[in-house]
Amino acid sequence: MSLGASLRTDPKRELWFAWYSTVAFYSLYSVVFFVLTRTQPPGRPWLTPEQTVAWFADRHWGLLVGFALIFVLGGFSATSISLITYSIRRMSVSRAYAYSYLILYAIAAIPGFLFICVAMTVGAMRPERDPALLHWLYDFGFLSFSGTMGVFLVGSLIWMAAILLDKNGVFPRWFGYLNLCNALTEVVIAPSWIFQRGVLAWNGVIAWWIDVAVFGMYTVVFIYLLRSLIQRDDLGTGPVPAPVITG
Amino acid sequence: MSRSGERVIFWTLPAVAVIWIAAFLLFPGFVPPMSPKASAAEVAAFYRDHLSRVRYSMILFNWFCVALIPILMLLVERMRGMAHRTPVLRYCVIGAAGAAPIAFLTSTVFWLIAAFRPDRSPALTQMCNDLAWITFTCGVPFLIGLCVFVAVAIAYDDQEQPVFPRWVGRFNLVIALALVPACFAGLTLDGPFAWNGFVSFWVKNLAIALWIVVMAVVLRQAMDRDRVVAGAAA
Amino acid sequence: MTETERVPGEGDMWFFVVFESLVFTSYFCVYLYDRAQHEHAFLKAQSALNLPLGIVETILLLTSSWAIARCVQEVRAARYRSAQRFVLATVGLGVAFFGCKLAEWVRLIGDGHTFTSSEFMQHFFFLTGMHAIHLLIGFVVLGVIRYQLADPQHRSHQTIETCSTYWHTVDLFWVLIFALLYIVR
Repeated sequence: MSLGASLRTDPKRELWFAWYSTVAFYSLYSVVFFVLTRTQPPGRPWLTPEQTVAWFADRHWGLLVGFALIFVLGGFSATSISLITYSIRRMSVSRAYAYSYLILYAIAAIPGFLFICVAMTVGAMRPERDPALLHWLYDFGFLSFSGTMGVFLVGSLIWMAAILLDKNGVFPRWFGYLNLCNALTEVVIAPSWIFQRGVLAWNGVIAWWIDVAVFGMYTVVFIYLLRSLIQRDDLGTGPVPAPVITG
Repeated sequence: MSRSGERVIFWTLPAVAVIWIAAFLLFPGFVPPMSPKASAAEVAAFYRDHLSRVRYSMILFNWFCVALIPILMLLVERMRGMAHRTPVLRYCVIGAAGAAPIAFLTSTVFWLIAAFRPDRSPALTQMCNDLAWITFTCGVPFLIGLCVFVAVAIAYDDQEQPVFPRWVGRFNLVIALALVPACFAGLTLDGPFAWNGFVSFWVKNLAIALWIVVMAVVLRQAMDRDRVVAGAAA
Repeated sequence: MTETERVPGEGDMWFFVVFESLVFTSYFCVYLYDRAQHEHAFLKAQSALNLPLGIVETILLLTSSWAIARCVQEVRAARYRSAQRFVLATVGLGVAFFGCKLAEWVRLIGDGHTFTSSEFMQHFFFLTGMHAIHLLIGFVVLGVIRYQLADPQHRSHQTIETCSTYWHTVDLFWVLIFALLYIVR
């Protein structure tokens, strides 16, 4: 079925809307962080204040335009969260799991990506600012972005518990265990608050490269599994209201 | 499902509106909006000269920016009546409605930090001021998301008597578009797109105000209809 | 399915074992690479470790693995009371290991060897810390076994075997960490 048709007439169109938005959001996110702003892989934490001035100058327009795009479209992060919340509602566990996931990730958006957008925009908009302050903004951006992982840690554990307790077979159990693997790599990023260089710094081999590899796999897998969940769902074609799932 | 108490929440809206308008007028940096071109010394002088008004207005905003959440939850409750097979769009609205006021709250924190020690180095005060204004002006992704989710929800509400009239969906899209230019306020210190410019300040903030007023009116109509239906059923 | 083809517990748990092993292998590779760069400094910092204590810890965990394996055997033979005792033994040995670990950390930190004092110690505290987190999760997993054994309604041999697989994995990771951090000099 074409994208247009599945978004207009398909009985599962809300689900497809959320799924296509999720794909679009993660694609935009990757383009902005890896290509436009070049803030991933992250800058080196050991830069001197003068070097951060050069760092900001080097990607002036990239930072401003890239993060402006996140300011426009960042709200669409809610689509993947809702889809996952919905997946938990399909499981044979209490709604408490679904609502915990929803609230955890909705609020995580603020430290998770809004802070870095604000810090880097403020840094780039006045290149003549005191280098010590630019340095502070640089740290604020990267540390808030990389270091705020507790919500994702607890969120992954909630999703894991829901999947492992579920008797409806909404997700394969190995994906439940993959959530645990993801949660454990979220722990690994915490030392970035402590180290300015080395493998555990915010751009380190362990804290960044291995983590991003795991997180990247996890994201691709869950987007794919959400798609098969929507395909499997049978919501009927009859008239609504009489919502199939409430809550 | 009980609808009891919804009108109490609804009638907090005029009170919230009065507080927001009062705080807006009390803050000396809104009418007219502070210029991003002001030097660090000028920004520091602004905070020294208007210390009390900055503090009291921002404390008010800090308290009451989240007061919109209960009203947005009334909107979420109306969405239950929509011809949707799943609650996904409702969850989207809940997520956006939670994050949007927190983004605004963050900007009040930066303003209040800037005002806390007016004798701080002017460059630091200017940085706090920049953080506040960029968070306030560009921090609209959740509002844009909220409008789009409401628009999609209304578009998918295929029933003879939809919860909200069709035009409300299109209106939400227009508001979302009106908020978009503000996201680019970091690119210029000058002109209509700067944070104090016509588009990034007036269009954006009036769009938000208009959204609240229009949504309150249609929300009220939908709530009244719900009550009639509930009365008929009882 | 014949007895020889059978994988203990659910197959999905083995996905976790393989995936987590890959993640740990990558940590080990980073450690070995760093070590090759600064061999002398690593050797010097490594000498602060107490090898006999490491051996005791390894024996404790290996014994706990034996205990949980016996527990699974008893479950298969439907001797649930005896299985309960072996779970308790596993918990006891795990707690003893964790106690040794804490004592080791406290002693090292007291001697000025902290997370930030040298590159070797950074790896040491990171790897042993990550392992300790896996171990703590392991106590939850052992709790699941106990809960299952206690209630005939919830007794699932498969779940019990899955949980014991997790515990063996924690043990395996420790053996590797022990070999790399304590033995390789």
